[in-house]
Amino acid sequence: MKEGLIFIFFLIALTSVCDTINQLFLKSAINSLSLPSPITIIKIIKFIIELIRIPRAWISFLFSVLSLCIWLFVLSKVDLNFAFSIDSMHYIFIAFASKQILKEKVNFKRWLGTISIIIGIILVSLS
Amino acid sequence: MFKKRLTFKILLFLIFTDVLETLTQFCFKKGALSQSGIDIRIFSDIFNFLLGVFSSWFLWLGLLSVVLTFVIWSTVLSKIDLSVAVPIASFSYILIPLVSIIFLQEKISVLRWLGVFFILIGVIFVSLSSKERQHSLE
Repeated sequence: MKEGLIFIFFLIALTSVCDTINQLFLKSAINSLSLPSPITIIKIIKFIIELIRIPRAWISFLFSVLSLCIWLFVLSKVDLNFAFSIDSMHYIFIAFASKQILKEKVNFKRWLGTISIIIGIILVSLS
Repeated sequence: MFKKRLTFKILLFLIFTDVLETLTQFCFKKGALSQSGIDIRIFSDIFNFLLGVFSSWFLWLGLLSVVLTFVIWSTVLSKIDLSVAVPIASFSYILIPLVSIIFLQEKISVLRWLGVFFILIGVIFVSLSSKERQHSLE
């Protein structure tokens, strides 16, 4: 692989990491709230107002903006279909983060899926 | 909590999110292409790059599409399980390469299509595994 391509690969990995952190913080912020059913428009608006008062939601937002900026730079350099395929590595990061940080159980099917994604990413990178 | 089965209406909404996701990425790519000449060497280059990209109306159309996708996606998820929604929504892994070929004049080899296929299978497996987790919680 060319040196430039490795750098792009690193940047895509960075957007995936940002996305993972964004999801972890958002999940943690949402977990601390409750949305009683039946769901109405007014309840959803109240829910969102409560959500944006939690600092963790802002950290999540910050990371998604950061991720967008890096992503736009990546797109200015490489093909869209290449970047989008490689970006699927966030599924791998989320599987690891769920296991290590959230202590969720990762079952056989999930590992199988993760391995298949890794094989796919390798094939896309080789082409 | 019981969720409804996949109905035709929900299926249409899911396919619509695929199309929106593809539109988002296409708009971002178009916006970013206008600044492809910029190489980032010093810190102010980052600022110049972002200023250029954000002045493209394609980018704002993309952001609008992101918000719309988020609204539809959240609504769909309140009706059906994530493990059902994600495999259908990952149709965009096929749609984006197709749009890339037709509208962006990108070239995709057989090896890359094979890679896309493996990723798609992987995404489906990962999302199906969340179903087992939910059942064990009930």
